[in-house]
Amino acid sequence: MALPLDAPPRARSAMSTSKASPMYNLRSSIASTGSTTSLTSLFAGTGASLPRDIVDDIKSVIHHAFVPHIAVHVAEDVNEIVREKGLPDFYQLIRPYGEKVQGRITARDSQGSSVPFEDFAVRFVRMTDVATQKPNRNGNAKNGDWGGANASMPEAMNSEELPLVDELLDLHLSHAEELIDTNLTTETEHHTGQAYYLLYLRKLLSGFPVTSHETFAHPVACLIAISSRNPSPIDTLRQLYKSGAEMDVPNYVNKEYLRYYVLVHDEDKDDILKSTALFEQMKRHFGLHCHLIRLRSSMCIVSDEDSVAVAKSQWLPASEELAELHSHQAEEEIDGDITSRFMHGSDESAIKTMIREMVAQSVIPFMERNIASWNDQILSRRKGIGGRVLSFSRRFLGASATRSATNSATASNFDAATNSYEPMTPEAQMRKLADWAFMLRDWKLAYDVYNTIRTDFNNDKAWLHVAGAQEMTIISLLLTGQPITPKIRADTIDVYLDAACYSYVTRFRAFYAALRCLLVTVELLRLAGGSSAELAAKWGIKALDLNIKPTVGRALISQRIGDCYAVRQGAGSGGWGGRRRKAALWHILAAETWIRLGKFAQARHCIDVAMPKYSSTEFVYIRRFLDQLKLDSGHVSLLDLKIDTNVSGNGEKAGGVDGEEGEEEEDDHEADKPKFDGKRKSILIPQTPNGDAPGTMTMDAGYDDAPSTSPKPRKKEGPSNY
Amino acid sequence: MASSTSYYFVIIGTKDNPLYEAEFGTFKQGGDGIPKFREEQRHMNQFIAHSSLDCIEDLQWASKEMYLKTVDKFNNTWVSCFLTGGNIKFLLVHDTRSDEPIRQFFADVYDLYCKTLMNPFYEVNMAIRSQSFDQKIKAAAKKYL
Repeated sequence: MALPLDAPPRARSAMSTSKASPMYNLRSSIASTGSTTSLTSLFAGTGASLPRDIVDDIKSVIHHAFVPHIAVHVAEDVNEIVREKGLPDFYQLIRPYGEKVQGRITARDSQGSSVPFEDFAVRFVRMTDVATQKPNRNGNAKNGDWGGANASMPEAMNSEELPLVDELLDLHLSHAEELIDTNLTTETEHHTGQAYYLLYLRKLLSGFPVTSHETFAHPVACLIAISSRNPSPIDTLRQLYKSGAEMDVPNYVNKEYLRYYVLVHDEDKDDILKSTALFEQMKRHFGLHCHLIRLRSSMCIVSDEDSVAVAKSQWLPASEELAELHSHQAEEEIDGDITSRFMHGSDESAIKTMIREMVAQSVIPFMERNIASWNDQILSRRKGIGGRVLSFSRRFLGASATRSATNSATASNFDAATNSYEPMTPEAQMRKLADWAFMLRDWKLAYDVYNTIRTDFNNDKAWLHVAGAQEMTIISLLLTGQPITPKIRADTIDVYLDAACYSYVTRFRAFYAALRCLLVTVELLRLAGGSSAELAAKWGIKALDLNIKPTVGRALISQRIGDCYAVRQGAGSGGWGGRRRKAALWHILAAETWIRLGKFAQARHCIDVAMPKYSSTEFVYIRRFLDQLKLDSGHVSLLDLKIDTNVSGNGEKAGGVDGEEGEEEEDDHEADKPKFDGKRKSILIPQTPNGDAPGTMTMDAGYDDAPSTSPKPRKKEGPSNY
Repeated sequence: MASSTSYYFVIIGTKDNPLYEAEFGTFKQGGDGIPKFREEQRHMNQFIAHSSLDCIEDLQWASKEMYLKTVDKFNNTWVSCFLTGGNIKFLLVHDTRSDEPIRQFFADVYDLYCKTLMNPFYEVNMAIRSQSFDQKIKAAAKKYL
């Protein structure tokens, strides 16, 4: 199956090359060495270099997907300072550092016990980005019916991000293929394992759209910054506050988020005493949520003493990363590189300290406070006996009101025209409470609240909100880590997932939301193991239905379904109840898709994984199909590798342990065995079996003829037959 | 998948080895009994049958019957299974659900298989090549499917 590889991961070595030799070095070498080197450096800093600790931990991907969003709203003079440093703007400067807040962050859960997080993260977004993602309300949005709901669906919830994610992954994979082709062959394991699936998942989960049915992308806080250069600092801050509040954000976004004021002090040009005085003044005006950050405005070059590489964001949305990659490619040709890749170490630690302080001392306490108060005021009232009577009577009266008067607004807070709730309504606040509890990883509270609001939304027929609540109910339930009994599986997970997918896909055509919901659930179920893993595979198959075209995403998901089945191990010596055959089937299907996409290394990996199950199969067509697949993908069997290495004498890999899996078939296939390097050219995309299969032959006839025409081995029953 | 119903029938031995395979179309609703599988469905049928063995290994302990009904589903195809006492599986890959005719078909096949087993020259897990067995299976398919 897996080659016993001890090669260093490609990403790490790529990283080190890029560190040692900055861009201009590589640029000069393009002409001589072709595009591979330049691509190496290009990918080194971005996605291909997956940190090892994250690769192993799917949960951390999911934790880091649902994090508080902090809007960044800065004065122009701040961006000026950052630009003098050679970086695009302040937002770009601090964004990577939000992905890993330095040190340990402690949050208090609903029980009052504090929980430490080692890897807390926040996501910075531009204030303008929050504002521009307005739902395009077509004028004909009517109340009630689905057409109206459809029209008010934000563009971003539709699948426009998905092709981009596919495209990006395609690029990454092509890059990997190229590396493998250029004789870095033994690194397949790193490149073809789950690393790319995780990358896919991460890209899918980065860049949540701002929508009405969930508040993850709504800002929790807003960072407002000015610099020491500003002539009228306090006024500018007030203006920023105002312009931020007046910005055209969608109505359903609660504008009562935390404001955090930052004074950027220019260490190289301005006087620290003056800045300190100004900072004191700021504190007097705006309270305690202030921070003074000291940045140097001079450009940093590699040779500077404390230079550090500018961190790369791991959570760039696919569209941005694509744009960046394209712009890099353009940059290589024209020689105008203005963006610096290095910054002063002091700056980096200053930014880290600022973010840590902001998160630990302002954002988290702010969230805790709000969670506690919403919990008190709304949830307990809703859950208490009074709330039940109230909501019941309201519903009762509301129902009669709808019958008499056409205005259904009296019955519920749901605004069907915009498909949203006003931010101050109890429903919206409860959803926010649940989301915030989720962000602070208080899964139990989140689960309770999602469970409660689901029925509320259901009564209001707010289908998108119902679907969102159903999705999060399952996810938070799975994250609580309570054992998944068959009853929970049948009554909760299956039912809600099915309903949520139906709502997303059929009612709203929100493929992105559906895919996200399914894939996150699949991962969590897979982690649960056992029969849950089979359920994961089942829902993974459902996710495949969302996407008919053979894209990278489809291939990755197919492969993942195979992995899910593989997780389920059988019991006893026979492996009863395992799903090895299913796993093998899905790996083969993935391999087929990979070949269609031209990603042969991936295909070879899948074939390697699946092959042991089929190596001695006596199914004619399966054999034929697999031989074709091997031929197309340039698969070289491990036995071949062994021979190869014996001859060339450099074979320390391809250990003897793997020898047994392929050997039975190898002896009859010596003739048509492809050579490793030659077969990249014999790409044979059409899926028909090779020429010797007569199209009209029926199965049984073929079987009868088999001993004479097909290369099938008949070791066991052959002698007894004739 | 074919436009009209087609069936893929396979008898699988104890070592996941096929003993006998056949394809046939439906005779119901004026069908001509000719399988309408496209070329790429051929290997998929085998893959599907093979992978459904996983589910059978699960289900065989839970049911007293030899006929396990529909055991697996892959996209639009179902797999029905009949498990003999000797752990030989009769699998039928089909694209319409109809439990009762399949049960009757399997009962006939079981008869035929038992008769084959009584042949002193036949051993368990040996491929079945008898022409008459083939014809009788086809006849049973014509009768029920």
